[in-house]
Amino acid sequence: MSQPDEESGLRIEGRRARDARRHSHEAMHTVFEVYALHPDARYAAQAAEAALALTQRLERDLSRFIANSDISRINRLEAGEATRVSLETLECLVIARHMFEVTDGAFDISIGTGLSSIELDEDALVVRATQPGVRLDLGGIGKGYAVDLMADVLEEWGLRVALVHGGFSSVLALDGPVDGEGWPLTLSDPAAPARVLARLSACQTSIGASGLVKGDHIVDPRTGEPVRGRRAAWVAAPRPATRGQAAADGAPRLAVTAVTDALTTACMVMSVDEITALCARSPGLEAWVLEDHGQDGAGEAGLRHFGGMHSDGPVALQTGDA
Amino acid sequence: MMAETRASHWAMVGITVMRVLVGWHFLYEGLAKLTADSWSAAGFMKQSRGPFAGFFRWLASDPTMLAYSDTITMWGLSIVGACLILGLFTRLASLGGIGFLMLFYLCNPPFIGYFYTIPSEGSYLIVNKNLVELAALVVIFATGSGTFAGIDRIVHGLWVRKPRLARA
Amino acid sequence: MAGEDGKDKVAPRTTEGQRKLDRRDVLMGLSTVPALGLFGYAWRKQNQVKQAAARAAVAPREAAAAGDVREVNVALLGAGAQGQVLTEAMQRIPGLRFRAVCDIWTEYNQRRVVNTLKRYGHEVNGYVDYREMLDKEPAIEAVVIATPDFWHAEHAIACMKAGKHVYCEKEMSNTLEGARNMVLAARETGKLLQIGHQRRSNPRYIHCHDKLLKEANLLGRIVTVNGQWNRAVAADLGAPDRYAIPQATLTQFGFKDMHQFRNWRWYKGLGGGPIVDLGSHQIDIYSWFLGSNPTHVTASGGLLYHDPKTHEWYDTVMVIYDYMTPAGPAKAYYQTQTTNGSQGYFETFMGDQGTLLISESELNNPGSIYRDPNAPAWDAWIQKGYIGAPVIPEAKDEEEGASGAIADVRESAAPDRHKVPVALTDPYHQPHLQNFFDAVRGKARLNCPAEVGYESAVAVLKVNEAIESNTRLAFRPEDFKVGGEA
Repeated sequence: MSQPDEESGLRIEGRRARDARRHSHEAMHTVFEVYALHPDARYAAQAAEAALALTQRLERDLSRFIANSDISRINRLEAGEATRVSLETLECLVIARHMFEVTDGAFDISIGTGLSSIELDEDALVVRATQPGVRLDLGGIGKGYAVDLMADVLEEWGLRVALVHGGFSSVLALDGPVDGEGWPLTLSDPAAPARVLARLSACQTSIGASGLVKGDHIVDPRTGEPVRGRRAAWVAAPRPATRGQAAADGAPRLAVTAVTDALTTACMVMSVDEITALCARSPGLEAWVLEDHGQDGAGEAGLRHFGGMHSDGPVALQTGDA
Repeated sequence: MMAETRASHWAMVGITVMRVLVGWHFLYEGLAKLTADSWSAAGFMKQSRGPFAGFFRWLASDPTMLAYSDTITMWGLSIVGACLILGLFTRLASLGGIGFLMLFYLCNPPFIGYFYTIPSEGSYLIVNKNLVELAALVVIFATGSGTFAGIDRIVHGLWVRKPRLARA
Repeated sequence: MAGEDGKDKVAPRTTEGQRKLDRRDVLMGLSTVPALGLFGYAWRKQNQVKQAAARAAVAPREAAAAGDVREVNVALLGAGAQGQVLTEAMQRIPGLRFRAVCDIWTEYNQRRVVNTLKRYGHEVNGYVDYREMLDKEPAIEAVVIATPDFWHAEHAIACMKAGKHVYCEKEMSNTLEGARNMVLAARETGKLLQIGHQRRSNPRYIHCHDKLLKEANLLGRIVTVNGQWNRAVAADLGAPDRYAIPQATLTQFGFKDMHQFRNWRWYKGLGGGPIVDLGSHQIDIYSWFLGSNPTHVTASGGLLYHDPKTHEWYDTVMVIYDYMTPAGPAKAYYQTQTTNGSQGYFETFMGDQGTLLISESELNNPGSIYRDPNAPAWDAWIQKGYIGAPVIPEAKDEEEGASGAIADVRESAAPDRHKVPVALTDPYHQPHLQNFFDAVRGKARLNCPAEVGYESAVAVLKVNEAIESNTRLAFRPEDFKVGGEA
């Protein structure tokens, strides 16, 4: 919702995906698309429409640009005031707070204005401010969260062969269009889209992408300084078989694309050591970072790869202290 | 030392009035930006035209440089304005003001063939109000108006040992 | 001063390099300090005016003291898309206790809303038949109805007769007879019946009506009105195969099949088509802001795009209403179409002194008022906080104030645009529901009682009639009244 001119460098390779019907809808300052294969094209269109309708409802709750959204109301809270929010807003905030801890503050929806001054009452669905002046922006997580919920709708409709994405910065691949194979995706240099850096076959996998076109910048919320030398980051994680079951250690329910969406933003600002450590303590998590040329040890292409020892289970995200 | 004529005295009074007015304008421009919710020179610089367009656009595109530019502009205009009103460090303040106006002028010069979208109450060909105000500051700089009526007069009286004459 | 010219420049020196600071030097030195004082005074005054305007612009919010509101037991009748929106909005209203949810789509909508409400801490029971719900849940005090239009009359009347207050979604009914019976039932039972024209409780619409039009008369004489709700093509609504409603249930509740159940708005006898679904909200505002009901209606429409096998109502409608307002005659145009979403939805009121552009959306066209160049200045209303300061045109926004010497846009020739400084900060529908529950607690009057909803239904339902007969139809003043009124 907030990243300007984002260029994800993530694409579907056309050949095998072309048979899948595409449905799109604009929301959250991006275009959401559903690729779906189903014998009944009309049924698939209706399912896609139902999934895409969700994005509008979520935007009404999550956008900081809409005066009566949950987020806008939170951003207006004075010290001691509270507001009730939707289930989805609360879940998104819980995930965002967990991601803040997991990334040691590199992913911060408050952009340094003080996430700690917001209290989440998960039973009463109430958000309370202890300090005034917090400014939340779910731009780095809302799209991914929407994609997760859209995929749930498609499954509810019985559509298994599908791919959902928001502006290609948050992608969730369900079953692939050909038996036993995933959706063919490419990672490429956002500055030179023809330069393919890696190919993936994604099946029940979520991939987040974050990239910059020339002239844009991304700010490290921990320092307030713009980050230099990094052009793009991608994070992939397997989709848990069932969403909605609580993960261990009180971690929030895993909306996996919300997580990868948040982690790509974090990977744009985290150091190489931090990303290595994050992947090491989160089996199943895989990350790529594209550095500007001339960065030490980044190789000629500038692409670094982290993690990637696939586990079948859901990603267990632990904080650094754990 | 030449005895001043009546005319030059009133000329100095006029220049002082001009100095206060220019200072007033600078001070309000500066304070208005400082107190605005989120002011930035980015938009102004991004639409720059003319020989220095590349430089201004680079300033606007680099977040660090933009932050510096914004801070310097906001505080610079305010400080220059207050100094001009008070007649304090008048020459230095005039120079600073000339610098700002020169930048504003060069950023979006009203040269032949340029069409601006800036809301405008007048029509300009090569000369615009930035340039006129700049010329006024040149006069203020040259006359050192602060030593006529301004705190500079007291400062000079207290600390400046060498006799000093304004060559008006 | 003139006689002492010689002293102006330099104070007399006593010795080389030593200057004496005399009284005159100090006076001259400090002579411009008052100018700074004057600046400070002007600055403070300016800020005071701005702050006063900003303060006045913030509509005083009725602080509902959470502690002392009486708890109201509520049921939801109709848990579809609109029922879910209303349920969400009601979560933000203190003192509501949900008891029951009634919907025939048990496996999907009913289950979803029941689960959501349970998550919010409400103990709710699900029902398929509203009569069973009314029988088994005597504690219910108010029912919120969001069923298809053709059910409204039966549902609302039964609920009021069972002693419940009712909030009923618009359109009040798909037939005038149904709407009239609802008004009569409300009178007979003495129960509250609020119709869901939620703009009637929207703080921005109230501000425009009460302050800008009635008090300040900023538009002058309103002669024309224009409005629209355009929607892009959307696929028909479907349902997950596995959650299909049994045919027997569908038939029992008046639906031919699952497709008709999901797309009832397009079917004659069930809904009223886009002019009723979308236009009703805005045509209601026409009458409210103009202070009168229409005298005539001319309309054209047709099913120009959609498949006639699954769409019975007109997908494109264009209407012209004639009004005789207290200030004089006026004409109002309205269009709705469902093939292109260009410009979305808005209403524009045009008077001889200005133009008001308003919509319910907080994102697009939330509210602007334009001053005609010949109208008297509006500075006093800006200072009172009724309207915002003139807005610099969009394309030029970013250059504003960036230079040390940029011109004041107020002197430019383009017509001034002022923002309407009142926003809806709560979810859509919440203020209208809040108004209803305040009325249930005896603390407010309904903003859209049955009689007002009826007037709106008369104006809107006549459009389909006018299209069908292809003639200009007249309204008599008594058409808007339900007989036997006090």
